[in-house]
Amino acid sequence: MFDIAIIGGGVVGANILCFCARRGVRAVLIEKNNDVATGASKANSGIIHAGFDAKPGTLKAKLNVSGNKIMEKLCSELDLPYQKIGALVVGNDLGKLNELKERGDVNGVHDIEIIKKNRLQELEPNLNGDYKYALYAKNSGIVSPYMLTIALCEEAILNGATVYRNFETKAIEKNSRNFKIISAQNTVLTAKYVVNCAGAGYNEVARKLKSEIYPLTFRRGEYYLLDSSEYGIVNHTIFPLPTPESKGILITPTIDGNVLVGPTSEISDQIPVTTSEGMNKIKSNITTMIPKINLRKSIRVFSGIRTISGDDFIIENSQKVKNLINIAGICSPGLSSAPAIANMVLEMTGFDKLPVKKFKKRKNIVSIKGKSTEELNALIKKDPDYGKIVCKCELVSLAEIKQALTSPLAAYSVDGVKRRVRAGMGRCQGGFCLLKVIETIAKTHKEPIISIPKENLGSEILISEIRPKKVVKNGKKI
Amino acid sequence: MAKRYDTVVIGGGPAGMAAAIEAKRCGAKVLLIERENQLGGILNQCIHNGFGLHYFKEELTGPEYAQRFIKLINWHQLDYYTNTFVTKINDNSIELISPLGAEKIYTKTIVLATGARERTAGAIGLHGTRPAGVYTAGQVQKMINYDGKLPCKHPIILGSGDVGLIMARRLSLEGAKVQMVLELANKPGGLMRNIQQCLNDFNIPLYTSTTVKEVVGTDKIEGIYAISVDDKMQEIPNTLKYYPCDALILSVGLIPETDVLPELELHPRTGGAIVNEYRETSIPNIFSCGNALHVHDLVDNVSKEAELTGRFAALKAKNQLAYGKQYNIICGNGISYTMPSTYFATPGNLEILFRVNNKFIRHNIVAKVKDKVIAKKFVLCAISGTMQSISFDKGNLKGDITISMEAEDGK
Repeated sequence: MFDIAIIGGGVVGANILCFCARRGVRAVLIEKNNDVATGASKANSGIIHAGFDAKPGTLKAKLNVSGNKIMEKLCSELDLPYQKIGALVVGNDLGKLNELKERGDVNGVHDIEIIKKNRLQELEPNLNGDYKYALYAKNSGIVSPYMLTIALCEEAILNGATVYRNFETKAIEKNSRNFKIISAQNTVLTAKYVVNCAGAGYNEVARKLKSEIYPLTFRRGEYYLLDSSEYGIVNHTIFPLPTPESKGILITPTIDGNVLVGPTSEISDQIPVTTSEGMNKIKSNITTMIPKINLRKSIRVFSGIRTISGDDFIIENSQKVKNLINIAGICSPGLSSAPAIANMVLEMTGFDKLPVKKFKKRKNIVSIKGKSTEELNALIKKDPDYGKIVCKCELVSLAEIKQALTSPLAAYSVDGVKRRVRAGMGRCQGGFCLLKVIETIAKTHKEPIISIPKENLGSEILISEIRPKKVVKNGKKI
Repeated sequence: MAKRYDTVVIGGGPAGMAAAIEAKRCGAKVLLIERENQLGGILNQCIHNGFGLHYFKEELTGPEYAQRFIKLINWHQLDYYTNTFVTKINDNSIELISPLGAEKIYTKTIVLATGARERTAGAIGLHGTRPAGVYTAGQVQKMINYDGKLPCKHPIILGSGDVGLIMARRLSLEGAKVQMVLELANKPGGLMRNIQQCLNDFNIPLYTSTTVKEVVGTDKIEGIYAISVDDKMQEIPNTLKYYPCDALILSVGLIPETDVLPELELHPRTGGAIVNEYRETSIPNIFSCGNALHVHDLVDNVSKEAELTGRFAALKAKNQLAYGKQYNIICGNGISYTMPSTYFATPGNLEILFRVNNKFIRHNIVAKVKDKVIAKKFVLCAISGTMQSISFDKGNLKGDITISMEAEDGK
């Protein structure tokens, strides 16, 4: 019996789970995939927006600004890196920039100002010299969106919450008091409240709940991820002037030391493909902005799907089903707003009245990257696997991979390991370490090596033994 | 007490082993460092034959070829570390890490023999979805030859580089039906013998001027859309065709691996370090050889070049390397790059390795200083997939050398 069941393991669901657990609320999160953060939460810009962009009075405006204010502290509580690098909206239309600034002022964004060319060139020497002005928002930051989701779940688990993965919801029944959620494997969960924050799958879940169906549309955003050698080409997140559809194609350093360029914004289905058209669009946009950029240094192209419901987020109590909260259309600035959305859910359920208890803190996996000889020796003395390098591009040791497989929200897939400790995230993209990672997963979880998936069940990498070992039992080969 | 060496060789593959052995023969105190748990490098997963025809005058498999050098390393009682990774290179020292701990080792010279990495889906901007089933040829080679596991039954191979061709044969031998090999260029990339032995002999079709437009499949690859391209490698409309497959294997080139030293000045053509005749990089006392320097097609050439490099590194450590006035080696007609790209006006032999940028039938390789021919060599057929060489005594040579491909007289 749970107080609250959260359907959907994205950053919003994880944040609700974590904030519930901090208050001692018995919470469960269910995710249909093999890991959390496999939808929009893994494939976005990783930016904590300042909040000047959204129309005043909207949920987006309110939740972005308050989410931004919480995020830095939240990340430090989660032992995650957060960098307040600031954002620049560059352009020559001073009127539009002033409009944005005024919007920011109304939304309650602090530390925004219009800067002129000289200052802009000082901040961003590689920026096209034709830009005369920029809106400078110092409170904009960067995080790893999937690590944030994972860390929130881990802290929640440490504090008594439950996370089910590979939980395909078959049916949801409701009696006068409780919800009964039944999985395809016939696991049954009961909960007093349910939150539907299933992202792109919102309506699918809503149908099972017999609750509100919203007209959702999808927009695909394609990206280039550039090699760490390009880190430093820009120092801030740089946007062009926004359009009604999106904030435009931006460039930003990532928290892990790469450079991210994108996204496009095309109406699409739910399949996150990249296209040559999309990539060409990014190319032509970004070379205008940063003429020096070298997109041949791309190590990965990817795309994410944003779910859109009109102009604003939908966060409301269901009118059809009591004790159900509908959360839909969390496109940008969803990541920035996630902690504020979680607080809003606490208010809607009344859990905000419960005091925050003394909660256990999660610890990030200690990386050997950037450590001194003395520090390394201390780590290796404790665990010799720290001296065994598996991923050479990102300098990831065997010890770190094993920890990713035994942490509170353990990885069960190659991509799960990649998201947690960055093995395979570098320029060779797992060319050298893929097999070692698969072997380590199989060994640690005591699973056959041919059952280890890239991401979801059904994405297994190795399909058969070429020469299966003959097992000899009682003198007979079987 | 800190360990001190004359020469530290980073990378225990064919290049590193040959360089270390030769440096030791020249009297240097040598340490060889390998990140895997055994020496041999990529040779250990190349279980096909065809190695050593030039160097040993006999046909060996990759592991056999490696074993010859491992024996020599043991015979010379050469110091080597396995399971050891170099994290940093400083002025006169390196920092390394292994399960035994982190350590700093002092050395006078360093040889970078860190091999190459494969170009990936991200590097070539492969479009569509990103499911399981898209691998590099080297990854698949390791799965099959190292771990005895098969990743697919009906693969399509993109790129006709040698590794891809060899994997087409290897997969066929293990029961997979390789459906086709696609090549963006209008001619195959690999060695001619591999086209014959790995594709033709197994009835695997090769489609040139064709590439992958889109990968299809959410969790696991289901198929690809292939598209034809023209001579300028622009997509030809209305040539899109869908092929189902359970893997897409990429053999789209190798990139020299020089990560350990980001400060290194790189050659725009080879992707490896810019070096002088002694294979010494832009950073004094740091040498480079093997695929870390430029991508080779035959390991025999790697061994030869690495021996040269090992010797120079050892001589440098003993202050016995003579630098003369430096002249350029210029790429003339039909030459893509030369190795080295400069030489010293010192006595001795000079061997210039190079690749051509087109197909040349019955041509002369000509080395000239101004208009004077200093060496000439006839080749029946030269293609970009095969490294060429020309070698001569430098004598009292002075001035820039131009290497070019010239048609046979009057033909």
